[in-house]
Amino acid sequence: MPQIITEQNLRNLIDLLVKEAKLVVGPKLSGSVVLYEPLAAGSDLTLDALPRRSSKELFFPICEDILSYKRENGAMKVTDVDRSKFPETVLIGAPPCDAGSPAILDAVMSWDYNDEFYLERRRKSTIVGIACTKGDDACFCRAVGLAPDAEGGSDLFLTPLKDGSYACKAVTDKGQALVAAHQNLFADGAGTEPVPFVDQAVEKLDLVKIKKWLEEHFEDPLWEKIADICVGCGACAFICPACHCFDINDEGSTDDGVRRKHWDACGFAKFTNHASGHNPRDVQNKRYRNRIMHKFKYYDDKFGKTLCTGCGRCIRACPVGIDIAEILETINGKED
Amino acid sequence: MKKAQHTPHIPFAARLLERRDLSEDTTLFRIAPEEGALAELSSFVPGQFVQLSVPGAGEIPISPADLPAPDGTLELCVRRVGHVTELLHKQQTGARLGIRGPFGSGFPLREMAGRPVLLLAGGLGIAPLRSLLMHLLRQRSSYGEVTLMYGAKQPRLMLFREELTALAATGGLRLYLTVDFAPETSEGEYSCAIGLLPDLLKGFRFDAVNTYAAVCGPPPLYRCLVTDLERAGVAAERILLSLERRMRCGIGRCCHCALGQKLCCVDGPVFRASELKGIPEAL
Repeated sequence: MPQIITEQNLRNLIDLLVKEAKLVVGPKLSGSVVLYEPLAAGSDLTLDALPRRSSKELFFPICEDILSYKRENGAMKVTDVDRSKFPETVLIGAPPCDAGSPAILDAVMSWDYNDEFYLERRRKSTIVGIACTKGDDACFCRAVGLAPDAEGGSDLFLTPLKDGSYACKAVTDKGQALVAAHQNLFADGAGTEPVPFVDQAVEKLDLVKIKKWLEEHFEDPLWEKIADICVGCGACAFICPACHCFDINDEGSTDDGVRRKHWDACGFAKFTNHASGHNPRDVQNKRYRNRIMHKFKYYDDKFGKTLCTGCGRCIRACPVGIDIAEILETINGKED
Repeated sequence: MKKAQHTPHIPFAARLLERRDLSEDTTLFRIAPEEGALAELSSFVPGQFVQLSVPGAGEIPISPADLPAPDGTLELCVRRVGHVTELLHKQQTGARLGIRGPFGSGFPLREMAGRPVLLLAGGLGIAPLRSLLMHLLRQRSSYGEVTLMYGAKQPRLMLFREELTALAATGGLRLYLTVDFAPETSEGEYSCAIGLLPDLLKGFRFDAVNTYAAVCGPPPLYRCLVTDLERAGVAAERILLSLERRMRCGIGRCCHCALGQKLCCVDGPVFRASELKGIPEAL
């Protein structure tokens, strides 16, 4: 049975979830930009712009402590983080390019060893995705196999309707449970027409063909042509819903401190630098090549998934105008 | 294969027992890990690495210079080169450290059994290969001829020199030492060749078809030695390279040590030259 929820009830739902002591995170105007931030009330939810950074930080924070150490009676005591204290969380209002990213990242977070920080947050989270009607000309989710109305990754999926309400579909048991626990906010019925999606400039890409080209062109003039201008600022990685590399550093003294895991970027010059001074990726175009290779070849080789949701954030943010969608189209259009 | 550890990011405590300077910037540290660490560490295979914590500085990946001793202590040969090793070198006996691991894959010992082994070490590359060498010499009858070719920049930077010479004197090891150059004052003082490792290899006659070669050294060394070894008749599957990369998490997630789709910390640090053929950035 299809269900709908009015905009007011969606905001009421947030109020209720906050009262239930859940951490509710959604797009919120923060200063002059929209970010995924904790919502104090339903009125905080802003659904008219794609948040500047992706929602991956809900599961994989920009920076988090992974242990603390303290010298006690001559011995060094190491304390793990109590992950059972991570809050029950509802992510609300994430478009498919964000809602879909944890489903991609689950693979790398649980392949050889489990990343208990990420996985505990995943277990405790419910994702309420929303069909995207706000796309702009940097969007290319269709090109990488997603779509503005793709439900993948969402537990509950909302589709904006012309009358301002939302059609609801429980995609998973978690989504079903969320609806069941707040049944009075949802009404049966199919509702009015959905709001139309924005057309995307980039057509669907042949990802198999692109991967094959990458396999055969590790050395190619293309890399210098497109990536010698890269300034290595790392913005593309930091705002990406799928980039997941990180660094680990200690902060504190020899007697007392914490070890922190924090985002890193393969575009940074020192990302692969050895203490000896040797750097396997010694020039910028090799670093940018790694970004493309990782997203469209290596991750697929390893986990059978593309490490990109087509959100277009890296295109919007790049200070020198590198356009990943254009690069993919170029490769897609190559004869050999 | 999923590992059973629940908290692979948490180091075990370890105490610095002893330190011995091997050269002006390289020291052999003997550490005693706490009891809880011993079960995991006892599974150590030469070529694997551990993450050593120096409180206040951070963690570094180090490939132990020998298998754990019967009492569980471990030898780590570390050059003072970055901010963590800088602080480590300032530590005195009794200092509190941390250790986790071992991680990655080591040398395929079972497969190497009964075969001649040629170890090629350049500079600090002797450290990971020393654990393999000690294993081979302890299980001497299980392997064919064992040869070590070790090159250092100059005589005073040659590590474990006396020890290696003594091992060679027992007859179980063929040892060839070389230095890039020797200051004039040392003439006659050292009995080693002057020249690069590939020069040593050039004049070396060996059973290339059956030999396993194990290589560790500075980055430029690999490409050149792999070519020479293959030319001599050693199959790429039996050329084992212990690679250096910036391994941060050690457990296959942070991406710092990626070589193409492979990760040095999980798939390596010991790779067969044949595995790396399709990965241009590996060597």
